[in-house]
Amino acid sequence: MAGPGTSMAIDPGQRQRGVRRTALLLGSIAAVFYVGFIVMMVLRATR
Amino acid sequence: MAYNDHAATAHDHDHDAHDHKPHGWRRWVYATNHKDIGTMYLVFAGISFFIGGTMAMLIRLELFKPGMQFLDPQFFNSMTTMHALEMIFGAVMPAWTGLANWMIPMQVGAPDMALPRLNNFSFWILPFAFTLLLATLFVPGGGPAGGWTMYPPLMLQGGAGFPMTIFAIHMMGISSILGAINVVVTIMNLRAPGMTLLRMPLFVWTWLITAYLLIAVMPVLAGAVTMLLTDHFFGTTFFTAAGGGDPVMFQHIFWFFGHPEVYILILPAFGIVSEIIPTFSRKPLFGYEAMVYATASIAFLSFIVWAHHMFTVGMPLAGQLFFMLSTMLIAIPTGVKVFNWTATMYRGSLSFEPPMLFALSFLFLFTIGGLSGLMLAIVPADYQYQDTYFVVAHFHYVLVPGAVFAIMGGIYYWLPKWTGNMYDQTLAKWHFWLSTIFVNVLFFPQHFLGLAGMPRRIPDYAVQFTDWNQVSSIGGFAFGLSQFLFPYIIWKCVRGGERVGNRAWEGAHGLEWELPSPPPFHSWTEPPSDALIQRGAAH
Repeated sequence: MAGPGTSMAIDPGQRQRGVRRTALLLGSIAAVFYVGFIVMMVLRATR
Repeated sequence: MAYNDHAATAHDHDHDAHDHKPHGWRRWVYATNHKDIGTMYLVFAGISFFIGGTMAMLIRLELFKPGMQFLDPQFFNSMTTMHALEMIFGAVMPAWTGLANWMIPMQVGAPDMALPRLNNFSFWILPFAFTLLLATLFVPGGGPAGGWTMYPPLMLQGGAGFPMTIFAIHMMGISSILGAINVVVTIMNLRAPGMTLLRMPLFVWTWLITAYLLIAVMPVLAGAVTMLLTDHFFGTTFFTAAGGGDPVMFQHIFWFFGHPEVYILILPAFGIVSEIIPTFSRKPLFGYEAMVYATASIAFLSFIVWAHHMFTVGMPLAGQLFFMLSTMLIAIPTGVKVFNWTATMYRGSLSFEPPMLFALSFLFLFTIGGLSGLMLAIVPADYQYQDTYFVVAHFHYVLVPGAVFAIMGGIYYWLPKWTGNMYDQTLAKWHFWLSTIFVNVLFFPQHFLGLAGMPRRIPDYAVQFTDWNQVSSIGGFAFGLSQFLFPYIIWKCVRGGERVGNRAWEGAHGLEWELPSPPPFHSWTEPPSDALIQRGAAH
């Protein structure tokens, strides 16, 4: 809904790009941590 | 008067009429709306709270008298382990995510969470994870019984439930990481123009920092439990001394996750208390920026204190000194917070509605938990307290009148906003007083038991511990029973009650209070004006 006092348009494209960029960055960091830790462990175990 | 009695306007109802929300089971299974997903998280947390609570009642029942009465020792150990896993991963963490889902978009002027489908996925992982975890109680060998810390070699001796537990923990971890990513992306990208970082409500700030902690440490837990899995099934010896491994290494890895996890459980509580106290003191929060920096400092320090959980493993003196001193440092930003909450109330126009009562109880009782934490940080003293009921008393003071009371206070604070109805405040005050009295009857005697030397995680004990165990059990049963008031009050409020206006509490500030009560299905489809944001950011 429109709030009681609304103003200042937002560029939806720019916002969507920002969302995608941040999500990909954080997702990659989490995936690298998550998978990386397990892979590192497997490598260490097979050495 | 605590709340204004302007009924929701016809204008608001017009907006509701334009909300095209799905109906029936599809609304929940395919939910992408932040409020619906928030509600599902909160309901899930409530169910887990009662399942975990039932396990706690069984523990207190067995401990009512020395000797073995009702439970098999293996099952007792399963109950202590499952109670912790249920309460930490099933109740407190989902409750915070539920509150984040409900409030963050409304508080930052966003229409919804940034990644709604991911939001749906992160919620729906949880029921499967916890069904799997609870199912371990019915397989050969029973549920996990080595404590929630899952230390090897004990954990490696589990039966068929062992891999199920590991898989369930992976699912919970993935759910938490996805939820955390959603929170960060929402806060960093969907804030209304003019909602600068230092204008954000403290609840949003504390959740932002919590989300970063989650992304950083949940993978560590995943790695640790995967190593347990490979030790058990694939012949590795990470934690087996006979194969060149080291069981103490597991403790280091686990607590590198585990201590930040403690702050994951408590930082959003700081945010909620920082919302409630100014509202019912009718004053801006004292030292807003200091609160933000204190939260960030606590989060940073949480990464460098982990070994205070394992002083007795035999670490070098330098290590003991480092972890003792770094742990004590946490008292500084925490002290800043307690000081600022107190200073907010100083010369305020205080009133004591249920959310404020829970926040005040939090302030006193969490501080008791913090002080016993300082005692545990002192290495020579910790040699005495380690693995006793003193530790149990300490962390339950932090987590029950700390995290759980803040969740309850938060729900009592925002429930009128969510439903448009005021709840039965008399009944809520009964809930508060019964909870506060009996949480102390339940946990305070455990300090005495611990100091007298009663070890934790045992189903039987020496007769000299009987009296305080009986007091503690009576407190536990009364606390447990009094919690049934909570869902009843919520249910009654959802069904109806005195209508409230946009600003359900007269002293409340923040963008959520500019929306109608209940808020429309989609929150801020157009961003709020700068004037509204400034009015909300009254700190």
